Amino acid sequence: MLIEEQALLLFFQQCAEKGVGAYSEIIVPVQQGENEGQSHFSPFSRDKVCILSGYRSIDPVKMLFYMPREKVLPIQKSRKKRIVAGVKACDIKGVQVLDAALSGGDFIDPVYQAWREETTLISTDCSSIASTCHCTLLSGQPYAESGFDLNLSKLKDKFFIQVGSEKGEALLKLIQKYVPVEDSSDADLKAVQANRKKMKEKVIAQNKDLERSGKYDKLRQDYDKDWPKVSETCVGCGACTHICPTCYCLILNDETKAQKFVKVRSYDSCQWHGYARVAGGDSPRPKMFQRFRNRYLCKFLFMKSNFDQLGCTGCGRCTEACAGNIDFRKVVKRITDKVKTEVVV
Amino acid sequence: MQNPFEVIPAKIYKIKQESPLIRTISLRPEKSIRFQTGQFMELTLPGIGEAPFTPSTSHFQTEVMDITIMKTGFMTEHIHQTKVGDLVGLRGPFGTRYPLERFEGKDLLILGGGCGLAPLRSLFLTLLDEIDKYKSITFLAGAKSPKDCIYKSEVSGWKKHPNVKFLRAVDVVPEGETWDEEVGVVTVLLKKCSIDPKTNPAVVCGPPVMMKFGTFDLLKMGYKEENIYLSMEKKMYCGHGQCRHCVMGKYYACKDGPVFSYAQIKDEEAIWE
Repeated sequence: MLIEEQALLLFFQQCAEKGVGAYSEIIVPVQQGENEGQSHFSPFSRDKVCILSGYRSIDPVKMLFYMPREKVLPIQKSRKKRIVAGVKACDIKGVQVLDAALSGGDFIDPVYQAWREETTLISTDCSSIASTCHCTLLSGQPYAESGFDLNLSKLKDKFFIQVGSEKGEALLKLIQKYVPVEDSSDADLKAVQANRKKMKEKVIAQNKDLERSGKYDKLRQDYDKDWPKVSETCVGCGACTHICPTCYCLILNDETKAQKFVKVRSYDSCQWHGYARVAGGDSPRPKMFQRFRNRYLCKFLFMKSNFDQLGCTGCGRCTEACAGNIDFRKVVKRITDKVKTEVVV
Repeated sequence: MQNPFEVIPAKIYKIKQESPLIRTISLRPEKSIRFQTGQFMELTLPGIGEAPFTPSTSHFQTEVMDITIMKTGFMTEHIHQTKVGDLVGLRGPFGTRYPLERFEGKDLLILGGGCGLAPLRSLFLTLLDEIDKYKSITFLAGAKSPKDCIYKSEVSGWKKHPNVKFLRAVDVVPEGETWDEEVGVVTVLLKKCSIDPKTNPAVVCGPPVMMKFGTFDLLKMGYKEENIYLSMEKKMYCGHGQCRHCVMGKYYACKDGPVFSYAQIKDEEAIWE
């Protein structure tokens, strides 16, 4: 199926302004400041520049399902149904990790689950890449193959639509009622595949010197030798964990005022000194390099054994956000492959 | 669906000062709480925060619960300011229990130090409730000095049980204090027990350094790795293996622990820290 970009935006506008079906909120990547291509998730509005294609947004889609600060007791009921569009493949992977962690096992986070149920996810293929993008190093690619409700691939001024779930099927039917959707041809599919191949090659080329063995067990090595060196410029701010699409460590704050208990969940960071500190002041990771190393072990080893998925999706946001200019990819390569690369960009 | 962050309100009905730094608060929750000895609860102080504590009462007692708490940080200082009648909250129970079925018909050794006696009191009282199931219980307890010993008023009662051996040691006896039991670290008491280490289980709980050397001494005596049970202290926070604060390699202390066998965790990093 094909839809004109303008027609889709018109549909979004109708949803946002009047509500269509059960949908009354649309969240899309919108241009951030003056910077070409940079975007962040924001409610759809005619006054903002909506960037459905391009590359991943500055903030991960995690922020829309697992908010930086959210009341979890008592639970607020009755939220609106919403569409989150323009999500890139790396974030779809991130949502899959969060699903496994927060609603896939014995434990279900009721607030996360409610947001997931009330949201229809529309992913889009990347049409450009950021300098930190490296999904291909994690056997990913700049387009989603599963985990979406609908996927859009840009073809000139149109989008090629792929349905990924029943929810997506229902949304497509709804869209068809309001704006024209045409059938696609084999040539369109071929064009999509050609674009995808081109974009994937671009990511591969960008990370050519950063390819690594993938023997992540080796991250355990050089405990007090190389790890203190690679983390030299780390200031322990925790930006990397907050911006990571798969980090979900939480603090449960008690905000009870009267007799009724109120619990608010907010992000914690394993990079902070107080993170694992116990009563009396002891901490299993008192030194910065130990906490720095913990994030890598968590992404590549702990999450792998917990969820059978790597905790890194290759979005590169941690590198982009790092106050110490540390390149995540270079750290992984240096430690696992024992090569002498400068990790500070 | 049950909200995993649900808090059960509880009233403090008794407070007992055990030592200068340790007190036991007795709680009456609004609904009965069925925990298994070894599991822990998250105790909420309204508006202040929450922290993990192990009940120190028998798990057959479900209407009331004692929690023994040492004043050692922000949260515990606030707990030490609470008064009888105050409202607190409880979440839980969380985590693994002591495997009581594996202690049946055995000579059980319990090794505890300092505030680590809190969960061990729960274990001990639970065992006492069904004492006929167990061959014998040897409880070795350590403290810094005589005034730091806790559960003082109960010890004489515990010692009276025919198949219970209860021994205590203090690190030092400062001038002005009297002590007629052992002096030295708690592991010196191991010499005083005559249990076959090959086939019997042991439980260790206390400050990290005591757990480490206690475990090593037990191994030297011939205890098997899979028969040594440890209550690991980490920063358990959410109780569901979600917030990752208490992560020990692939394990979470809150979900896969706090009770682990030494064989289970010996290869994980930094378990004693």
